[in-house]
Amino acid sequence: MTLRGTVLATIGAGVALAAMPWLLSDFLLSLALTCLMYAGLAVSWAMFSGPTHYLSLATSAFFGIGAYVTAWGLEALPYPAAVLLGGLLASAFAALVGAAVLHLRGAYFAVITFGLGELVRHAITFYEKSYAGTVGRIIADAPESDVVYLTVLVVTIAAVCACAAVRASRLGLALRGIGADEERAQTLGVHTRRAKIVAFALSAFFAGALGAAMAVRWTYVDPPAVFNPFIGFQTVLIAMVGGAQTLIGPLVSSVVFSLLTEFLRLRFPYAFLILLGLLLIALVLYLPGGLASLLARRRARA
Amino acid sequence: MPEALVSAQRVSVRFGGLVAVDGVDLEVGERELVGVIGPNGAGKTTFFHTLSGVLAPSAGRLRVGGDDLTGKPAHVFAAHGVARTFQTPRVFRDMTAEENVRFGLEFAGRLRKHTHDAFDDARAILGYLGLAEASGLPAGSLTPARQRLLEIGMALGARPRVLLLDEVAAGLTESEIASTAQLIRRVRDELGLAVIWIEHAVRALMQCVERVAVLHQGRKIADGAPRDVARDPAVVEAYLGQEVNLGEAKA
Repeated sequence: MTLRGTVLATIGAGVALAAMPWLLSDFLLSLALTCLMYAGLAVSWAMFSGPTHYLSLATSAFFGIGAYVTAWGLEALPYPAAVLLGGLLASAFAALVGAAVLHLRGAYFAVITFGLGELVRHAITFYEKSYAGTVGRIIADAPESDVVYLTVLVVTIAAVCACAAVRASRLGLALRGIGADEERAQTLGVHTRRAKIVAFALSAFFAGALGAAMAVRWTYVDPPAVFNPFIGFQTVLIAMVGGAQTLIGPLVSSVVFSLLTEFLRLRFPYAFLILLGLLLIALVLYLPGGLASLLARRRARA
Repeated sequence: MPEALVSAQRVSVRFGGLVAVDGVDLEVGERELVGVIGPNGAGKTTFFHTLSGVLAPSAGRLRVGGDDLTGKPAHVFAAHGVARTFQTPRVFRDMTAEENVRFGLEFAGRLRKHTHDAFDDARAILGYLGLAEASGLPAGSLTPARQRLLEIGMALGARPRVLLLDEVAAGLTESEIASTAQLIRRVRDELGLAVIWIEHAVRALMQCVERVAVLHQGRKIADGAPRDVARDPAVVEAYLGQEVNLGEAKA
Protein backbone atom coordinates (compact mmCIF):
# COMPACT_ATOMS: atom_id res chain seq x y z
CA MET A 1 0.00 0.00 0.00
CA THR A 2 1.23 3.51 -0.66
CA LEU A 3 2.09 5.80 2.23
CA ARG A 4 -0.92 7.99 1.45
CA GLY A 5 -3.21 4.97 1.44
CA THR A 6 -1.84 3.66 4.72
CA VAL A 7 -2.20 7.03 6.42
CA LEU A 8 -5.76 7.49 5.17
CA ALA A 9 -6.73 3.95 6.22
CA THR A 10 -5.19 4.53 9.65
CA ILE A 11 -7.01 7.80 10.15
CA GLY A 12 -10.24 6.15 8.97
CA ALA A 13 -9.79 3.35 11.49
CA GLY A 14 -9.06 5.99 14.12
CA VAL A 15 -12.31 7.81 13.42
CA ALA A 16 -14.25 4.55 13.68
CA LEU A 17 -12.49 3.63 16.93
CA ALA A 18 -13.28 7.07 18.34
CA ALA A 19 -16.91 5.97 18.70
CA MET A 20 -16.03 3.23 21.19
CA PRO A 21 -16.50 5.24 24.41
CA TRP A 22 -20.19 5.61 23.54
CA LEU A 23 -20.63 1.99 22.48
CA LEU A 24 -18.72 -0.07 24.98
CA SER A 25 -19.20 -0.82 28.65
CA ASP A 26 -16.59 0.44 31.12
CA PHE A 27 -14.93 -2.95 31.26
CA LEU A 28 -14.72 -3.34 27.48
CA LEU A 29 -13.55 0.23 27.06
CA SER A 30 -10.72 -0.38 29.47
CA LEU A 31 -9.83 -3.51 27.53
CA ALA A 32 -9.87 -1.52 24.29
CA LEU A 33 -7.61 1.04 25.95
CA THR A 34 -5.09 -1.67 26.82
CA CYS A 35 -5.18 -2.94 23.23
CA LEU A 36 -4.59 0.57 21.91
CA MET A 37 -1.77 1.24 24.31
CA TYR A 38 0.06 -1.92 23.29
CA ALA A 39 -0.64 -1.24 19.63
CA GLY A 40 1.04 2.16 19.99
CA LEU A 41 3.94 0.77 22.02
CA ALA A 42 4.54 -2.19 19.69
CA VAL A 43 4.38 -0.07 16.53
CA SER A 44 6.73 2.52 17.95
CA TRP A 45 9.10 -0.22 19.09
CA ALA A 46 9.00 -1.83 15.64
CA MET A 47 9.70 1.54 14.04
CA PHE A 48 13.29 1.34 15.27
CA SER A 49 13.94 -2.26 16.26
CA GLY A 50 12.08 -3.90 13.37
CA PRO A 51 14.33 -2.82 10.51
CA THR A 52 17.57 -2.43 12.49
CA HIS A 53 17.31 -5.65 14.53
CA TYR A 54 18.54 -3.69 17.54
CA LEU A 55 16.68 -5.34 20.39
CA SER A 56 15.67 -2.42 22.59
CA LEU A 57 14.27 -3.12 26.04
CA ALA A 58 14.05 0.57 26.86
CA THR A 59 10.31 0.87 26.27
CA SER A 60 9.50 0.73 29.97
CA ALA A 61 12.06 3.47 30.63
CA PHE A 62 10.41 5.78 28.07
CA PHE A 63 6.96 4.84 29.27
CA GLY A 64 7.91 5.52 32.89
CA ILE A 65 9.48 8.87 32.07
CA GLY A 66 6.27 9.90 30.35
CA ALA A 67 4.18 8.67 33.27
CA TYR A 68 6.24 10.71 35.72
CA VAL A 69 5.84 13.84 33.63
CA THR A 70 2.10 13.47 34.18
CA ALA A 71 2.49 12.56 37.85
CA TRP A 72 4.59 15.66 38.50
CA GLY A 73 3.09 18.05 36.03
CA LEU A 74 -0.64 17.42 35.81
CA GLU A 75 -1.44 19.97 38.48
CA ALA A 76 0.27 22.70 36.48
CA LEU A 77 -0.28 21.48 32.94
CA PRO A 78 -3.35 20.59 30.91
CA TYR A 79 -3.52 16.85 30.19
CA PRO A 80 -2.66 17.08 26.45
CA ALA A 81 0.37 19.27 27.24
CA ALA A 82 1.58 16.70 29.76
CA VAL A 83 1.24 13.97 27.12
CA LEU A 84 3.23 16.01 24.60
CA LEU A 85 5.88 16.90 27.16
CA GLY A 86 6.13 13.26 28.27
CA GLY A 87 6.86 12.27 24.68
CA LEU A 88 9.39 15.04 24.19
CA LEU A 89 11.27 14.26 27.39
CA ALA A 90 11.39 10.54 26.60
CA SER A 91 12.63 11.45 23.14
CA ALA A 92 15.36 13.72 24.49
CA PHE A 93 16.39 11.01 26.93
CA ALA A 94 16.55 8.46 24.09
CA ALA A 95 18.67 10.77 21.94
CA LEU A 96 21.05 11.32 24.84
CA VAL A 97 21.51 7.69 25.80
CA GLY A 98 21.31 6.61 22.17
CA ALA A 99 24.39 8.70 21.43
CA ALA A 100 26.16 6.80 24.20
CA VAL A 101 25.02 3.22 23.65
CA LEU A 102 23.95 2.81 20.02
CA HIS A 103 27.35 1.51 18.99
CA LEU A 104 26.61 -1.62 21.01
CA ARG A 105 24.89 -4.49 19.29
CA GLY A 106 23.06 -7.70 20.07
CA ALA A 107 22.82 -8.83 23.66
CA TYR A 108 24.90 -5.89 24.92
CA PHE A 109 22.44 -3.39 23.55
CA ALA A 110 19.48 -5.34 24.93
CA VAL A 111 21.03 -5.55 28.39
CA ILE A 112 22.04 -1.91 28.54
CA THR A 113 18.62 -0.68 27.42
CA PHE A 114 17.04 -2.85 30.07
CA GLY A 115 19.46 -1.38 32.59
CA LEU A 116 18.39 2.11 31.56
CA GLY A 117 14.88 1.47 32.76
CA GLU A 118 16.19 0.33 36.10
CA LEU A 119 18.51 3.31 36.30
CA VAL A 120 15.74 5.84 35.74
CA ARG A 121 13.43 3.98 38.10
CA HIS A 122 15.96 4.02 40.93
CA ALA A 123 16.94 7.61 40.21
CA ILE A 124 13.31 8.70 40.55
CA THR A 125 12.79 6.59 43.66
CA PHE A 126 15.87 8.18 45.19
CA TYR A 127 14.77 11.68 44.25
CA GLU A 128 11.26 11.21 45.60
CA LYS A 129 12.47 9.77 48.90
CA SER A 130 15.30 12.23 49.46
CA TYR A 131 13.81 15.49 48.24
CA ALA A 132 10.06 15.08 47.97
CA GLY A 133 9.69 12.82 50.99
CA THR A 134 7.31 10.44 49.26
CA VAL A 135 7.30 7.06 47.53
CA GLY A 136 4.47 7.67 45.08
CA ARG A 137 2.16 10.32 43.75
CA ILE A 138 -1.57 10.52 43.80
CA ILE A 139 -3.08 11.92 40.64
CA ALA A 140 -5.90 14.01 42.01
CA ASP A 141 -8.01 15.26 39.14
CA ALA A 142 -7.61 12.60 36.45
CA PRO A 143 -9.50 13.19 33.21
CA GLU A 144 -12.58 11.12 32.35
CA SER A 145 -11.95 7.66 30.93
CA ASP A 146 -13.26 8.62 27.47
CA VAL A 147 -10.79 11.53 27.35
CA VAL A 148 -7.98 9.13 28.24
CA TYR A 149 -9.18 6.69 25.61
CA LEU A 150 -9.34 9.34 22.89
CA THR A 151 -5.93 10.70 23.82
CA VAL A 152 -4.32 7.26 23.66
CA LEU A 153 -6.13 6.70 20.35
CA VAL A 154 -4.66 9.89 18.90
CA VAL A 155 -1.13 9.01 20.05
CA THR A 156 -1.44 5.49 18.65
CA ILE A 157 -2.77 6.71 15.30
CA ALA A 158 0.10 9.18 15.17
CA ALA A 159 2.55 6.36 15.95
CA VAL A 160 1.17 4.19 13.14
CA CYS A 161 1.31 7.06 10.64
CA ALA A 162 4.84 7.98 11.74
CA CYS A 163 5.95 4.37 11.41
CA ALA A 164 4.48 4.16 7.90
CA ALA A 165 6.19 7.44 6.97
CA VAL A 166 9.54 6.26 8.31
CA ARG A 167 9.26 2.99 6.42
CA ALA A 168 8.61 4.84 3.17
CA SER A 169 11.41 7.35 3.70
CA ARG A 170 15.14 7.42 3.11
CA LEU A 171 15.56 7.07 6.87
CA GLY A 172 13.62 3.80 6.68
CA LEU A 173 15.88 2.53 3.91
CA ALA A 174 18.92 3.48 6.00
CA LEU A 175 17.50 1.54 8.95
CA ARG A 176 16.94 -1.54 6.78
CA GLY A 177 20.51 -1.31 5.56
CA ILE A 178 21.73 -0.99 9.13
CA GLY A 179 19.80 -4.11 10.06
CA ALA A 180 21.11 -6.08 7.09
CA ASP A 181 24.77 -5.04 7.31
CA GLU A 182 25.61 -1.90 9.20
CA GLU A 183 29.17 -1.54 7.96
CA ARG A 184 28.12 -2.06 4.35
CA ALA A 185 25.44 0.59 4.72
CA GLN A 186 28.02 2.98 6.09
CA THR A 187 30.42 2.41 3.21
CA LEU A 188 27.55 3.34 0.87
CA GLY A 189 27.17 6.68 2.58
CA VAL A 190 24.69 6.15 5.41
CA HIS A 191 25.41 8.28 8.47
CA THR A 192 24.53 5.25 10.58
CA ARG A 193 24.96 6.90 13.95
CA ARG A 194 22.64 9.76 13.12
CA ALA A 195 20.03 7.49 11.52
CA LYS A 196 19.94 5.26 14.61
CA ILE A 197 19.71 8.15 17.07
CA VAL A 198 16.93 9.87 15.12
CA ALA A 199 14.87 6.68 14.81
CA PHE A 200 15.46 5.68 18.43
CA ALA A 201 14.39 9.13 19.66
CA LEU A 202 11.33 9.18 17.42
CA SER A 203 10.26 5.76 18.62
CA ALA A 204 10.77 6.89 22.23
CA PHE A 205 8.49 9.87 21.70
CA PHE A 206 5.44 7.66 21.29
CA ALA A 207 6.34 5.39 24.20
CA GLY A 208 6.79 8.44 26.41
CA ALA A 209 3.54 10.04 25.25
CA LEU A 210 1.68 6.80 25.90
CA GLY A 211 3.19 6.60 29.37
CA ALA A 212 2.08 10.15 30.08
CA ALA A 213 -1.41 9.46 28.74
CA MET A 214 -1.84 6.18 30.62
CA ALA A 215 -0.47 7.40 33.96
CA VAL A 216 -3.80 8.92 34.94
CA ARG A 217 -5.34 5.47 34.86
CA TRP A 218 -3.40 4.36 37.92
CA THR A 219 -4.45 7.31 40.13
CA TYR A 220 -1.50 6.29 42.32
CA VAL A 221 1.81 6.41 40.46
CA ASP A 222 4.97 4.95 41.95
CA PRO A 223 8.15 3.78 40.19
CA PRO A 224 7.49 0.01 40.35
CA ALA A 225 4.12 0.48 38.64
CA VAL A 226 5.16 2.69 35.73
CA PHE A 227 8.68 1.33 35.17
CA ASN A 228 7.24 -2.16 35.14
CA PRO A 229 9.54 -4.31 32.98
CA PHE A 230 6.51 -6.39 32.06
CA ILE A 231 5.27 -3.51 29.87
CA GLY A 232 8.57 -3.44 28.02
CA PHE A 233 8.75 -7.21 27.56
CA GLN A 234 5.14 -7.46 26.51
CA THR A 235 5.74 -4.76 23.88
CA VAL A 236 8.73 -6.57 22.42
CA LEU A 237 6.89 -9.89 22.40
CA ILE A 238 3.82 -8.42 20.74
CA ALA A 239 5.90 -6.80 18.03
CA MET A 240 8.01 -9.90 17.45
CA VAL A 241 5.08 -12.29 17.45
CA GLY A 242 3.24 -10.04 15.04
CA GLY A 243 6.24 -9.58 12.81
CA ALA A 244 8.35 -6.52 13.57
CA GLN A 245 9.29 -6.02 9.90
CA THR A 246 5.70 -5.15 9.07
CA LEU A 247 3.26 -2.47 10.11
CA ILE A 248 0.15 -4.61 10.36
CA GLY A 249 1.80 -7.44 12.32
CA PRO A 250 2.32 -5.58 15.60
CA LEU A 251 -1.17 -4.03 15.30
CA VAL A 252 -2.99 -7.33 14.94
CA SER A 253 -0.80 -9.00 17.50
CA SER A 254 -1.37 -6.27 20.10
CA VAL A 255 -5.13 -6.86 19.97
CA VAL A 256 -4.77 -10.65 20.00
CA PHE A 257 -2.24 -10.55 22.81
CA SER A 258 -4.01 -8.06 25.02
CA LEU A 259 -7.26 -9.98 24.78
CA LEU A 260 -5.51 -13.29 25.33
CA THR A 261 -3.58 -11.97 28.31
CA GLU A 262 -6.76 -10.61 29.82
CA PHE A 263 -8.63 -13.84 29.21
CA LEU A 264 -5.87 -15.99 30.69
CA ARG A 265 -5.49 -13.63 33.64
CA LEU A 266 -9.19 -13.80 34.48
CA ARG A 267 -9.54 -17.51 33.79
CA PHE A 268 -6.25 -18.79 35.24
CA PRO A 269 -5.09 -16.07 37.65
CA TYR A 270 -2.18 -18.14 38.95
CA ALA A 271 -1.05 -19.97 35.84
CA PHE A 272 -1.52 -17.23 33.27
CA LEU A 273 2.11 -16.15 33.06
CA ILE A 274 3.17 -19.78 32.66
CA LEU A 275 0.66 -20.26 29.85
CA LEU A 276 1.74 -17.02 28.21
CA GLY A 277 5.36 -18.15 28.40
CA LEU A 278 4.61 -21.53 26.84
CA LEU A 279 2.65 -19.90 24.06
CA LEU A 280 5.56 -17.60 23.32
CA ILE A 281 8.06 -20.40 23.18
CA ALA A 282 5.83 -22.24 20.73
CA LEU A 283 5.42 -19.15 18.56
CA VAL A 284 9.11 -18.32 18.49
CA LEU A 285 9.97 -21.93 17.64
CA TYR A 286 7.39 -22.47 14.95
CA LEU A 287 6.67 -18.99 13.62
CA PRO A 288 9.89 -17.02 13.88
CA GLY A 289 8.81 -14.46 11.26
CA GLY A 290 5.74 -13.60 13.30
CA LEU A 291 2.06 -13.75 12.42
CA ALA A 292 2.70 -11.49 9.44
CA SER A 293 4.78 -14.25 7.86
CA LEU A 294 1.65 -16.44 7.71
CA LEU A 295 0.00 -13.79 5.60
CA ALA A 296 3.08 -13.45 3.38
CA ARG A 297 3.22 -17.22 2.96
CA ARG A 298 -0.41 -17.34 1.89
CA ARG A 299 0.13 -14.51 -0.54
CA ALA A 300 3.17 -16.28 -1.98
CA ARG A 301 1.13 -19.42 -2.55
CA ALA A 302 -1.72 -17.59 -4.24
CA MET B 1 52.09 17.70 -10.17
CA PRO B 2 48.39 17.81 -9.25
CA GLU B 3 47.43 16.27 -5.94
CA ALA B 4 46.69 12.55 -6.00
CA LEU B 5 43.05 11.48 -5.79
CA VAL B 6 43.79 9.10 -2.96
CA SER B 7 46.83 9.48 -0.85
CA ALA B 8 47.89 7.29 2.06
CA GLN B 9 50.90 8.57 3.97
CA ARG B 10 52.79 6.28 6.33
CA VAL B 11 49.61 4.44 7.27
CA SER B 12 49.98 1.91 10.07
CA VAL B 13 47.47 -0.33 11.78
CA ARG B 14 48.28 -2.08 15.02
CA PHE B 15 46.11 -4.69 16.71
CA GLY B 16 47.57 -4.93 20.19
CA GLY B 17 51.15 -6.08 19.62
CA LEU B 18 50.58 -7.09 16.01
CA VAL B 19 51.46 -4.60 13.29
CA ALA B 20 49.15 -5.49 10.40
CA VAL B 21 50.03 -2.50 8.23
CA ASP B 22 53.38 -0.84 8.73
CA GLY B 23 53.95 2.66 7.35
CA VAL B 24 52.46 2.14 3.90
CA ASP B 25 52.50 5.00 1.37
CA LEU B 26 50.26 4.87 -1.66
CA GLU B 27 49.24 7.59 -4.08
CA VAL B 28 46.66 6.96 -6.75
CA GLY B 29 45.74 9.56 -9.35
CA GLU B 30 42.58 10.15 -11.40
CA ARG B 31 41.75 7.30 -13.81
CA GLU B 32 44.62 5.20 -12.57
CA LEU B 33 44.26 1.42 -12.34
CA VAL B 34 46.46 0.11 -9.57
CA GLY B 35 46.81 -3.42 -8.28
CA VAL B 36 47.76 -4.33 -4.74
CA ILE B 37 49.11 -7.82 -4.26
CA GLY B 38 50.83 -9.70 -1.51
CA PRO B 39 50.92 -13.13 0.13
CA ASN B 40 48.25 -14.12 2.63
CA GLY B 41 48.42 -12.05 5.78
CA ALA B 42 50.33 -9.25 4.06
CA GLY B 43 47.84 -6.67 5.35
CA LYS B 44 46.10 -5.97 2.04
CA THR B 45 42.55 -6.07 3.34
CA THR B 46 43.43 -4.21 6.53
CA PHE B 47 45.01 -1.51 4.39
CA PHE B 48 41.81 -1.36 2.31
CA HIS B 49 39.77 -0.95 5.48
CA THR B 50 41.73 2.20 6.25
CA LEU B 51 41.36 3.52 2.68
CA SER B 52 37.57 3.22 2.95
CA GLY B 53 37.24 4.48 6.52
CA VAL B 54 36.02 1.16 7.88
CA LEU B 55 39.05 1.10 10.17
CA ALA B 56 40.89 4.15 11.47
CA PRO B 57 44.68 3.86 11.07
CA SER B 58 46.77 3.82 14.25
CA ALA B 59 49.17 6.24 12.57
CA GLY B 60 49.54 8.05 9.27
CA ARG B 61 47.29 10.26 7.17
CA LEU B 62 44.65 9.63 4.54
CA ARG B 63 43.65 12.22 1.99
CA VAL B 64 40.95 11.93 -0.64
CA GLY B 65 40.72 14.58 -3.35
CA GLY B 66 42.89 16.82 -1.19
CA ASP B 67 40.76 16.57 1.94
CA ASP B 68 42.23 15.03 5.06
CA LEU B 69 39.86 12.24 6.11
CA THR B 70 42.08 10.56 8.68
CA GLY B 71 39.92 9.05 11.41
CA LYS B 72 36.64 9.96 9.71
CA PRO B 73 33.87 7.35 9.58
CA ALA B 74 33.20 5.33 6.43
CA HIS B 75 30.21 7.39 5.29
CA VAL B 76 32.43 10.45 4.98
CA PHE B 77 34.78 8.51 2.72
CA ALA B 78 31.76 7.44 0.68
CA ALA B 79 30.60 11.04 0.43
CA HIS B 80 34.05 11.97 -0.90
CA GLY B 81 33.74 9.42 -3.65
CA VAL B 82 35.39 6.31 -2.22
CA ALA B 83 33.39 3.12 -2.82
CA ARG B 84 34.44 -0.42 -2.19
CA THR B 85 33.55 -4.08 -2.33
CA PHE B 86 34.31 -6.67 0.32
CA GLN B 87 36.23 -9.91 0.08
CA THR B 88 33.12 -11.98 0.74
CA PRO B 89 30.27 -10.25 -1.07
CA ARG B 90 28.22 -8.21 1.36
CA VAL B 91 25.01 -7.60 -0.51
CA PHE B 92 21.72 -6.92 1.27
CA ARG B 93 20.41 -10.44 0.83
CA ASP B 94 16.73 -9.76 1.45
CA MET B 95 16.56 -6.79 -0.89
CA THR B 96 16.30 -7.19 -4.65
CA ALA B 97 19.31 -6.58 -6.84
CA GLU B 98 17.78 -3.30 -7.92
CA GLU B 99 17.20 -2.17 -4.32
CA ASN B 100 20.80 -3.05 -3.53
CA VAL B 101 22.08 -0.72 -6.24
CA ARG B 102 19.53 1.95 -5.39
CA PHE B 103 20.85 1.95 -1.83
CA GLY B 104 24.14 3.52 -2.90
CA LEU B 105 22.28 5.98 -5.12
CA GLU B 106 20.04 7.07 -2.23
CA PHE B 107 22.92 7.86 0.09
CA ALA B 108 26.47 8.60 -1.09
CA GLY B 109 25.32 8.73 -4.74
CA ARG B 110 22.68 11.37 -4.06
CA LEU B 111 25.28 13.78 -2.71
CA ARG B 112 27.60 13.36 -5.65
CA LYS B 113 27.22 14.82 -9.07
CA HIS B 114 26.32 12.72 -12.02
CA THR B 115 29.37 11.67 -13.99
CA HIS B 116 28.14 9.15 -16.54
CA ASP B 117 24.90 7.84 -18.05
CA ALA B 118 25.62 4.43 -16.58
CA PHE B 119 25.16 6.02 -13.16
CA ASP B 120 21.71 7.38 -13.92
CA ASP B 121 19.66 4.84 -12.00
CA ALA B 122 19.79 1.35 -10.58
CA ARG B 123 18.57 -0.24 -13.81
CA ALA B 124 21.21 1.48 -15.88
CA ILE B 125 23.93 0.27 -13.55
CA LEU B 126 22.58 -3.29 -13.53
CA GLY B 127 22.43 -3.19 -17.32
CA TYR B 128 26.01 -1.98 -17.48
CA LEU B 129 27.09 -4.97 -15.42
CA GLY B 130 24.97 -7.42 -17.41
CA LEU B 131 22.66 -8.03 -14.46
CA ALA B 132 19.53 -6.45 -15.96
CA GLU B 133 17.43 -9.58 -15.88
CA ALA B 134 18.32 -10.19 -12.22
CA SER B 135 17.03 -6.79 -11.05
CA GLY B 136 13.89 -8.12 -9.38
CA LEU B 137 15.52 -11.11 -7.69
CA PRO B 138 16.55 -11.11 -4.03
CA ALA B 139 20.29 -10.54 -3.90
CA GLY B 140 20.75 -13.56 -1.64
CA SER B 141 19.46 -15.86 -4.37
CA LEU B 142 22.13 -14.88 -6.91
CA THR B 143 25.19 -17.05 -7.52
CA PRO B 144 28.35 -15.96 -5.68
CA ALA B 145 29.83 -14.72 -8.96
CA ARG B 146 26.80 -12.52 -9.63
CA GLN B 147 26.77 -11.32 -6.03
CA ARG B 148 30.31 -10.06 -6.61
CA LEU B 149 29.13 -8.19 -9.70
CA LEU B 150 26.18 -6.80 -7.77
CA GLU B 151 28.54 -5.56 -5.10
CA ILE B 152 30.40 -3.62 -7.76
CA GLY B 153 26.99 -2.28 -8.80
CA MET B 154 26.26 -1.16 -5.23
CA ALA B 155 29.60 0.63 -5.19
CA LEU B 156 28.88 2.28 -8.57
CA GLY B 157 25.55 3.44 -7.16
CA ALA B 158 27.55 5.53 -4.70
CA ARG B 159 28.88 7.41 -7.79
CA PRO B 160 32.49 7.11 -6.74
CA ARG B 161 35.67 8.66 -8.03
CA VAL B 162 37.71 5.73 -6.86
CA LEU B 163 36.61 2.13 -6.65
CA LEU B 164 38.29 -0.24 -4.22
CA LEU B 165 37.94 -3.87 -5.20
CA ASP B 166 38.85 -6.48 -2.61
CA GLU B 167 39.55 -9.84 -4.26
CA VAL B 168 36.67 -9.63 -6.72
CA ALA B 169 38.14 -12.55 -8.66
CA ALA B 170 38.54 -14.94 -5.73
CA GLY B 171 36.73 -18.22 -6.25
CA LEU B 172 35.85 -17.48 -9.88
CA THR B 173 36.62 -19.70 -12.86
CA GLU B 174 39.29 -18.69 -15.38
CA SER B 175 36.76 -17.31 -17.84
CA GLU B 176 34.90 -15.45 -15.10
CA ILE B 177 38.17 -13.92 -13.94
CA ALA B 178 38.91 -12.81 -17.50
CA SER B 179 35.53 -11.12 -17.85
CA THR B 180 35.90 -9.50 -14.43
CA ALA B 181 39.28 -8.09 -15.47
CA GLN B 182 37.65 -6.81 -18.65
CA LEU B 183 34.86 -5.19 -16.64
CA ILE B 184 37.40 -3.49 -14.38
CA ARG B 185 39.14 -1.96 -17.37
CA ARG B 186 35.83 -0.83 -18.81
CA VAL B 187 34.86 0.81 -15.55
CA ARG B 188 38.09 2.74 -15.63
CA ASP B 189 38.10 3.55 -19.35
CA GLU B 190 34.41 4.33 -19.84
CA LEU B 191 33.38 5.70 -16.46
CA GLY B 192 36.66 7.44 -15.76
CA LEU B 193 37.14 6.01 -12.28
CA ALA B 194 40.34 5.33 -10.50
CA VAL B 195 40.47 1.67 -9.44
CA ILE B 196 42.51 0.05 -6.71
CA TRP B 197 42.29 -3.69 -7.01
CA ILE B 198 43.51 -6.14 -4.41
CA GLU B 199 43.90 -9.66 -5.59
CA HIS B 200 45.37 -12.90 -4.48
CA ALA B 201 45.10 -14.40 -7.99
CA VAL B 202 48.12 -12.46 -9.11
CA ARG B 203 48.32 -13.40 -12.77
CA ALA B 204 45.01 -11.95 -13.93
CA LEU B 205 45.71 -8.76 -12.05
CA MET B 206 49.23 -8.33 -13.40
CA GLN B 207 47.89 -8.55 -16.94
CA CYS B 208 45.23 -5.94 -16.32
CA VAL B 209 46.78 -3.12 -14.30
CA GLU B 210 49.33 -0.49 -15.24
CA ARG B 211 50.87 -0.28 -11.84
CA VAL B 212 51.12 -2.67 -8.96
CA ALA B 213 52.09 -2.30 -5.32
CA VAL B 214 53.27 -5.29 -3.32
CA LEU B 215 52.64 -5.64 0.39
CA HIS B 216 54.57 -8.12 2.47
CA GLN B 217 54.23 -8.47 6.23
CA GLY B 218 52.48 -5.12 6.39
CA ARG B 219 55.13 -3.19 4.46
CA LYS B 220 55.14 -2.03 0.89
CA ILE B 221 58.12 -3.72 -0.74
CA ALA B 222 57.56 -2.67 -4.35
CA ASP B 223 55.51 -0.23 -6.41
CA GLY B 224 55.79 0.12 -10.16
CA ALA B 225 55.00 -1.33 -13.56
CA PRO B 226 54.00 -5.02 -13.37
CA ARG B 227 56.97 -6.08 -15.51
CA ASP B 228 59.50 -4.38 -13.22
CA VAL B 229 57.78 -5.49 -10.05
CA ALA B 230 57.76 -9.11 -11.20
CA ARG B 231 61.55 -9.02 -11.52
CA ASP B 232 62.14 -7.31 -8.20
CA PRO B 233 64.21 -9.68 -6.05
CA ALA B 234 62.32 -8.72 -2.88
CA VAL B 235 59.00 -9.57 -4.54
CA VAL B 236 60.30 -12.85 -5.89
CA GLU B 237 61.47 -13.73 -2.41
CA ALA B 238 58.11 -12.82 -0.82
CA TYR B 239 56.36 -14.98 -3.39
CA LEU B 240 58.88 -17.80 -3.03
CA GLY B 241 58.07 -20.46 -5.57
CA GLN B 242 55.60 -18.35 -7.49
CA GLU B 243 58.03 -16.54 -9.81
CA VAL B 244 56.49 -18.36 -12.77
CA ASN B 245 53.12 -16.71 -12.31
CA LEU B 246 54.62 -13.28 -11.96
CA GLY B 247 56.93 -13.82 -14.91
CA GLU B 248 53.97 -14.31 -17.20
CA ALA B 249 52.82 -10.77 -16.69
CA LYS B 250 52.91 -8.85 -19.89
CA ALA B 251 54.19 -5.33 -20.17
